[in-house]
Amino acid sequence: MALRIRGIEKIYPDFRLELDLEVHQGELLILLGPSGCGKTTTLRLIAGFIDPDSGALDMDSRRIDNLPAHRRRIGIVFQDYALFPHLNVWDNIGFGLRMQGWSPGEARRRIGELLGLISLEGYGKRKVTRLSGGEQQRVALARALAPQPQLLLLDEPLSALDAKLRKSLRSEIRRIQRELAVTTLYVTHDQEEALVLGDRIAVMREGHIEQIDTPERIYNRPANLFVGTFLGQANLLRGRLTGWFAGRDGQIAVVETGVGKLSAIQPAETRSAKAKLQVGQEVVVFFRPEHCSLDRQPSGRTSRSNRISGRVARTEYLGSHRLIEVEAADQRFTLDLVDRLTPAGGDEVSFSVSVHNCWLFPR
Amino acid sequence: MGKTGQPLELALPQGRRTSSGSGTLFLLLLAPAVFLLLFFYFPLGSVLVGGLTDSSGRFTLGIAASLLGDPYYLRIIGFTVWQAILSTMLSVLMGLPGAYLLARYDFRGKRLIQALTTVPFVLPSIIVVLGFVRFFGNNGILNRSLMALFRLEEPPLRILYSLQAILLAHAFYNFPVVVRVVSSLWRRIHPSTEEAARSLGAHGLRLFFRISLPQILPALLSAAALVFIFCLLSFAIVLVLGGGPRYTTLEVEVYRLAKVSLDLKTGSALALIGAVISLLFLYAYIKLQQRSSFAEQMAEDAEKPRLAGMLGSVRGVFYLLYLLLMALVILAPMITVIAYSFQLRSGWAQQAISLEWYRRILSGGGPYLRAVVNSLFFACLTMLLSLPLGTLLAYVGARSRFTGSRLLEAVMMLPIGISSIILGLGYLKAYRQLPWRIVGTWYSIVFAHTVIAYPFVIRVASATFRKMKSSLTEAARSLGAGPWRLFWRLELPMARSALITGAAFAFGISVGEINASLMLYNERLITIPVMIYRLIGSYNFIGACAMGSVLMLFCFLAFLIIDRAGGEIG
Repeated sequence: MALRIRGIEKIYPDFRLELDLEVHQGELLILLGPSGCGKTTTLRLIAGFIDPDSGALDMDSRRIDNLPAHRRRIGIVFQDYALFPHLNVWDNIGFGLRMQGWSPGEARRRIGELLGLISLEGYGKRKVTRLSGGEQQRVALARALAPQPQLLLLDEPLSALDAKLRKSLRSEIRRIQRELAVTTLYVTHDQEEALVLGDRIAVMREGHIEQIDTPERIYNRPANLFVGTFLGQANLLRGRLTGWFAGRDGQIAVVETGVGKLSAIQPAETRSAKAKLQVGQEVVVFFRPEHCSLDRQPSGRTSRSNRISGRVARTEYLGSHRLIEVEAADQRFTLDLVDRLTPAGGDEVSFSVSVHNCWLFPR
Repeated sequence: MGKTGQPLELALPQGRRTSSGSGTLFLLLLAPAVFLLLFFYFPLGSVLVGGLTDSSGRFTLGIAASLLGDPYYLRIIGFTVWQAILSTMLSVLMGLPGAYLLARYDFRGKRLIQALTTVPFVLPSIIVVLGFVRFFGNNGILNRSLMALFRLEEPPLRILYSLQAILLAHAFYNFPVVVRVVSSLWRRIHPSTEEAARSLGAHGLRLFFRISLPQILPALLSAAALVFIFCLLSFAIVLVLGGGPRYTTLEVEVYRLAKVSLDLKTGSALALIGAVISLLFLYAYIKLQQRSSFAEQMAEDAEKPRLAGMLGSVRGVFYLLYLLLMALVILAPMITVIAYSFQLRSGWAQQAISLEWYRRILSGGGPYLRAVVNSLFFACLTMLLSLPLGTLLAYVGARSRFTGSRLLEAVMMLPIGISSIILGLGYLKAYRQLPWRIVGTWYSIVFAHTVIAYPFVIRVASATFRKMKSSLTEAARSLGAGPWRLFWRLELPMARSALITGAAFAFGISVGEINASLMLYNERLITIPVMIYRLIGSYNFIGACAMGSVLMLFCFLAFLIIDRAGGEIG
């Protein structure tokens, strides 16, 4: 089943949600954004707990927005699991089957199947209040999946768990979702979770979608500064566009900044959306810490890479890699390096970053 | 998004609209509305009209005004409020140390002490009266012991039939309420604030007044207001222990006017004044309860020091003595009543243990067994009526938000602010004009008891319905449960322990109810509490104590069920 959200609008006194979105058959789409951006409201609109002010919801071109919540056949996993405290594991998973009129025999088979799927065989008689957080999470998932919903919604399902459990459970969710090929919408504010889990990610801000694409493209080709800074680390440098010249693989811009002249490209995604940036315009140069590399030659600018020199302000050892903060002309840059040889605090250094990794955004 | 809350809250009523239309709501409310109209608002209105019209039926404020100008009635009004103030202060002073100990220490028997604080909610006032008379009376245990000990000719303590007797009985009866309400807040306040203050140099009374008191104040005020209302509307204790016109309160005077002087007109006017006073204080109580308390963001119980480790110090011994005394004071009237019921004849010298009175009760024939059967019958019917009534109203109140839902809540809860004496008076007045007889039938008493009991079912049930997380009902809806099955399969089962508590409560209230029963009973409809009152009146204390023990047995069963179910009360 595919879900289409067509021009959904929901207006609150201080908040407005506007959405157009398609979730493909069998896909796991992540709704990612800071708290207050409208992710959960979107989920509740789809589930039928809130009515939109306008727009339509289609499930395989059949409208569902006129159905009450209990007729939509949408499975939901809640942030707090919302397991029914007066029922045991078996009856929790079987609740939806009973409501949707499954025969007792079929229900029994289905519940057994799901207990296997979430590796909790033999847990049927347990009280849900006696389960660990991870087990409750899995029961909640099984309960939502039991009546074979047309669509699965997950509302920050891992946020109440500790980091280690979160990692193992998210791959389990991924496995189960793939196995059942159930169309899934997954809400989170955790970028790592989004990158690992999503077939596609929709980044939301203040009630609308900023960009929707595969994790790789969202990370490597952010449509704007918000997406670029919300996912991953970034160095930002303000400047003024002074000219364009033709490089080997396209137009390259020259930007006057506090640390000298830098070359940068304007990503195709942003160019198609808005017009090409004009000479004289205030801009931001954006590059990621892991795209920087240290070098020991004097600073300067080549056609292929920018060089910035400064003084090491701070280093942070993180085991597999190292963060280095370089101060140059009142600006701080973060470098993410895997080199073994690294400078100490106070050292004069210069680093370079390829022109193709320096992206230009309007200020 | 969920954490920011705002869109979520706005969303709730809308989501609801799809599941239960206003038509269904109307139908659901129809039966309770008719019941309340006929058996609460009609009698209440009749009292209102009676108090505000002259003999020819014209509207007048004259009767009420003339009462307010009459020094006799002014003194009654003044005394009513005065004794309630004093009783409340005494209860707070007695209860605060207990609240502190329960909140801050662990000790063996704590569970028992905590359970004992439920006693005022289930122990009928007539038992307190009886126990008090037998313990403090001229011929009671205390005086007899003192006389034997010091070889006195006369009983040295004469506290019965005085203001002290009323105050002591009220305080003994109500201080566990203070312990219960205050300690339940105090335990949620993390001791770290007190520890911080101590490290900054505060201790003793200064620590209490500057740090602890401001934090427990919301609970303290609401406990005090609750006790105050109890004492304001107290009837049996004042009627018996006051012992005369000098110590008469509004409730007792209304009863006297209605049952002795048969002056329903003046009774109605006085009842009106009483109702205005009690509703004013009830309103204040509700306002107090709505005040936010600091404790809401406090974490779960911290580890507490054990009292057993402090018994070497003076303070520890003091604490222990207090706890022992507290248990004794709560249990004393009950123990006295039970012990006395096994005596053969009145008098201290008579030591023989006898089951004579229990034999008499069980042998039937006499009025005693009838009172027991009546009480059980009324209590069971009251429970069966008030449980669905209270549950339904609580559910509608908790789940629907529409304009006027606050008003609906007030309409539902008003019986809590109207004393049962006034209710009884209303029944006497209102149903006289009707073509069919209501007063003097068994159902008049059942309906009166239901009106008194169902608000307590609402309180217990609506707390539970409101506490249910919306994600639970949403989960059930997403799994295919429509509004009807949502209620039967999810919300009702989850409220199970609250409903059991509510039912046991209704039973306990009905079985111990004396005020309305005294107004409405006749020989056929006599109940245990009324029988006890009459036995006290004829100085047949052993019989009264035997009946009292039977009554306590039923209340104890209700108490056990409440305690097991663990629903929140008070």
